[in-house]
Amino acid sequence: MATFQHDVLIIGAGLAGMRAALAAQGEGADIGVISKVHPVRSHSNAAQGGINAALEATDSWEEHAFDTIKGSDYLADQDSVEVLCKEAGAELIALENMGVIFNRDDQGKLGTRRFGGAKKARTYFVGDITGQAILHVMYEQMTKAQESGESQMKVYEEWFVTSLISDGERCLGATVLDMRTGEIHTVLAKGTILATGGFGRVYEPSTNALICTGDGMSMAWRIGAPLMDMEMVQHHPTTLKGSGVLITEGARGEGAYLLNSDGDRFMKTYAPNAMELASRDVVSRAEQTEINEGRGIDGCVLLDMRHLDEKLIHERLWQIRELGIDLAGVDVIKEPIPIQPGCHYAMGGIKTNILGETPVPGLYAAGEVACVSVHGGNRLGANSLLDTVIFGRRAGVAAAEAGREIDMPIAPDSTIEGEQQKLQALLDRPANDEKIARIRWDLGISMDKNVAVFRSAEGLDEQQEEIKKLKARYETVPIEDKGKVFNTDLIFGLELGYLLDCAEAIVLGAITRTESRGAQYRVDFPERNDAEWLKHILLTYSPEGIRLDYQPVTITQWEPKERTY
Amino acid sequence: MKVNLNVKRFDPESDGSTRFQQYDIDMPENSTVLDALIHVREYVDATLALRCSCRSAICGSCAMRVDHRARLACKTKVTDIVSDEGQEITIEPMGNMPVIKDLITDMEVHWSKVRQVVPYLRPTGPPPEREYIVSNEAMLDVAGAVNCIQCGACVSDCPVLEIDKSFIAPAALAKAYRFTGDPRDGTKKERLEMLSNVEGGIWDCTRCNMCVEVCPKDVRPMDRIMQLREQAVAAGVKTNTGVRHGTSFANSVRRLGRLDEMRLFPESVGMFAVPRLLKELPGAFRMLWSKRLMMWTHAIPFAHKPIPGIKHVRRIYDQARSEKKEHSK
Amino acid sequence: MKYAFWPGCVSKGACPELYDSMILTSAKLGIELEEMYDGNCTGAGVISEHEPELADVLNARNFAIAQKMGLDLVNICSTCQGVQSMVQEKLDRDEEHRAKINAQLAEEGLEYKPGLVIKNFMWVLVEDYGLDKLKEKVVRQLDGLRCGPFYGCYILRPSRILGMEEHPERDNYLEQIIEAVGATAVDYEGKDKCCGFPILTNNRKNSLTQAGTHIASAKDQGADCLVTPCPLCHLNLDAQQPSAAEVIQRELGVPIIHLPQLLGLAIGIDPKLLRMNRHVVGTQAVLDKVLATVEA
Repeated sequence: MATFQHDVLIIGAGLAGMRAALAAQGEGADIGVISKVHPVRSHSNAAQGGINAALEATDSWEEHAFDTIKGSDYLADQDSVEVLCKEAGAELIALENMGVIFNRDDQGKLGTRRFGGAKKARTYFVGDITGQAILHVMYEQMTKAQESGESQMKVYEEWFVTSLISDGERCLGATVLDMRTGEIHTVLAKGTILATGGFGRVYEPSTNALICTGDGMSMAWRIGAPLMDMEMVQHHPTTLKGSGVLITEGARGEGAYLLNSDGDRFMKTYAPNAMELASRDVVSRAEQTEINEGRGIDGCVLLDMRHLDEKLIHERLWQIRELGIDLAGVDVIKEPIPIQPGCHYAMGGIKTNILGETPVPGLYAAGEVACVSVHGGNRLGANSLLDTVIFGRRAGVAAAEAGREIDMPIAPDSTIEGEQQKLQALLDRPANDEKIARIRWDLGISMDKNVAVFRSAEGLDEQQEEIKKLKARYETVPIEDKGKVFNTDLIFGLELGYLLDCAEAIVLGAITRTESRGAQYRVDFPERNDAEWLKHILLTYSPEGIRLDYQPVTITQWEPKERTY
Repeated sequence: MKVNLNVKRFDPESDGSTRFQQYDIDMPENSTVLDALIHVREYVDATLALRCSCRSAICGSCAMRVDHRARLACKTKVTDIVSDEGQEITIEPMGNMPVIKDLITDMEVHWSKVRQVVPYLRPTGPPPEREYIVSNEAMLDVAGAVNCIQCGACVSDCPVLEIDKSFIAPAALAKAYRFTGDPRDGTKKERLEMLSNVEGGIWDCTRCNMCVEVCPKDVRPMDRIMQLREQAVAAGVKTNTGVRHGTSFANSVRRLGRLDEMRLFPESVGMFAVPRLLKELPGAFRMLWSKRLMMWTHAIPFAHKPIPGIKHVRRIYDQARSEKKEHSK
Repeated sequence: MKYAFWPGCVSKGACPELYDSMILTSAKLGIELEEMYDGNCTGAGVISEHEPELADVLNARNFAIAQKMGLDLVNICSTCQGVQSMVQEKLDRDEEHRAKINAQLAEEGLEYKPGLVIKNFMWVLVEDYGLDKLKEKVVRQLDGLRCGPFYGCYILRPSRILGMEEHPERDNYLEQIIEAVGATAVDYEGKDKCCGFPILTNNRKNSLTQAGTHIASAKDQGADCLVTPCPLCHLNLDAQQPSAAEVIQRELGVPIIHLPQLLGLAIGIDPKLLRMNRHVVGTQAVLDKVLATVEA
């Protein structure tokens, strides 16, 4: 039991978190980074295809911005998108200079591939391990920064954040569980940055890692930070059946086809120009339609790479070839691989501005946990890595700068004690037959049934009821492991609480938005309705109930138009 | 499908002893070992501790010993290990590191070695206006090492590390190659000198291929170590016995078409390293005596007869070496 | 049954007892060997460390010589097997590379064409000769002899290039052969690990600690001797054993038997002709057990 203090506390050590840490160190701040896993285990690893930037002379940040906004189905805030796209080039070069081994062209300059929803080839990549390649370089830079000793940077690995500390107005830091010892500590900070990633495990199956449990969204929500556009959950068009493991959009970027059971490239019906490279919501809906109308194969359609050069697959898509062999028993060089749409990414999250500030003073957010909003109703492939580094950096700078004007907060003495009692109460629950895993499974399956690619009032109402029941079951589920060291049972119990909060918000958002836009497709409201719904939905938690607010979308220079690919 | 797991358990909060625990469960066909372990943890025994996250061999969390060999549990199908349903699968934590609980190890052993190789790019000279201009081949060459996910499987099973804790071990050395092979790094020679001369450096690898065998990402760490050795020789790092050994070996084959083991030793250690040579004398005499080898053939250079086609072997040498020279120009 | 026989450098140098026992044993088993007198050293992985291209040409030369003889190639050295398999995989996969290498062989009138069968004697015994046939030849059941198998790295790893997919039991052949001749295979920790030989000159302590540790672990499991298909392992395990014992500070005294010697004993060849007396660690204890069996 101890108290630690830092100018800036960063929770989560994926790309957004580490980028924030490096930026905050650049501002001379004393930094603490907490992660429930070792930094290189973070889910940024899983981004395969690439990172977007308009760097070529033939491209422009405006075109990148337009593709992003059109891809978002005009729900993105255009001032935020402008920041994202204007700063992309410099950030990409910074990553290259740090050591990322981006693919090169014949002249030795950075080379690109095409990606969905983009008119120009502006996706920079390292084979199909781009996220991993960048994440590990960012960790290298963290190591370098720690050695340099320019300012204090402490990384607390395998610490699990149980709550954010609030005095009712400001965020003062966090209470944490040291997973290795089972001890509870408090970490106080002038500014706290959440970089905890998404909530993909709300769904079953999901491309997301088991650690993606919406921790940051739930904890911020619990201290009054509003969640925005939570209904916008991206389903990726190419995930493996069963496990939901991701097959990169880069495969289609390199020319792979989507085929139905008749062997037709069905995208010609849905997106005659962009074909397989339409935006993800469009492709996923097309696939689901084919499957629903009986032109699928065992709940899947096929991704066909047989016509691609074998050398290209070895040099640019080696990882998915291995995944196919290991997890589906299919060598993509020889056979098409069965794929289906699967839960992938949260466009929504904690509302922030372009500095990463949330409406709660002292609390910042960046990356998938945040909603700034640059992705709106649908994120373009290869914009998520970009989001993490641009807004991670911005949040790091903003928190460090703000910290100069603030005194180190003091938490009430009862903070640790209260948290200990909360956890002890969980551990002391009487045994029964309920299992944490069973509740999580029931949640995932029902979300996949009712709140996936196609949604309806009936399904959503049913899901809202289901979540109430799941929450009731959660109130009494026992923690079977009573130990202190690596009590992963306790961790899963806490994570399930986070997931249920996120699910509640997703469903409420989906019920509220009575139109179809981006990832939200309501069969009972199949049209986009700009007159009523060109606005964000904000959900704010209070013990009395959830408050609903709306906020208009910021339009700078791109008026909403009909969206075709 | 019946799956029978035999899991090594260790609870630091009990008496500190280890034990094996059996779990007999039913799993769908095609399940991975990780699927089975997660099922155990979720539905059978919530106290079982392991790390796992991505389920797709990207995050590197779930390295453990399955059937006595380090593997990623998520990349190992049950049927890869057992041919008969219900046959026992032994699951243990990784080796060469302290165990914290059950299948969770303390990987600081590994990370300290990563830090030892200065694990970040060190460009020299003024930064470029935009990106560094380098060939795609150069990037693809280090991509093999960049593919490493730091799971620790090779560290776990490295036989050198088992007997010598100072050995930098395969993963960190592969990481080192990621920088010496990167044309953007300006400190290649400095790195190679350190890696050659430091205790536990590149010349201590026995080339046993264990890391190549266990690596789940085809990083082939040993091949990277061999590339480091090649780079060290090319960069003129000559102080090490290992360099002389390679030269002596190759020269012997050029001279005779085959190896002259008895000359190898003094040439590798250095003809003038008298104390070390004296230390080896008993061993050498022991062998010569017990094997009744003709001592004089080993004492007099060229006493061994070359193979009949020696001129072709020498021609092959000269051709390969002149090409190499040409290439390095 | 006839093979192009690649004896390797060590069996013609520091381990003549391996060469002699191989010649006698295979003759008695009815395996015909035509020696590749003009073959050159495979480089043992050392040449490829510094000059990979050179190592490829040297090995391709051996392959081409075997092909000219029209025979499958058999070797008696784990290290040779590993190097040969490695180079062969590269040559067979990459046509461009192969053409480049062949250009250098052309002057000698040689050419390597993909698909040469290259087998260690241990593989030949199980896959081509057959353990049942071997059992028929046994005249001295080696009952009571406890043998620790010691494979040598390169015949096991990387398994991808060593035909383990087609022959998944190749990592168990030594045990199968030991059992086939009536002896008992002893399981112990170090059987598939490194003997330490490659770093003997560079890091004597590590090298001998490895050798010593494995011998000790076999001894602890009750092994009378170790059996190896690799003469380089033999050098470290036998010739260096007294030094290894000093390094790990334990009494060892465990005889190290070449695979053909074990077979030779079982099929009734005179131990003297098998050069059982030409070991650094005396083999009398093994012979006592074996000969006792004969008399009984």
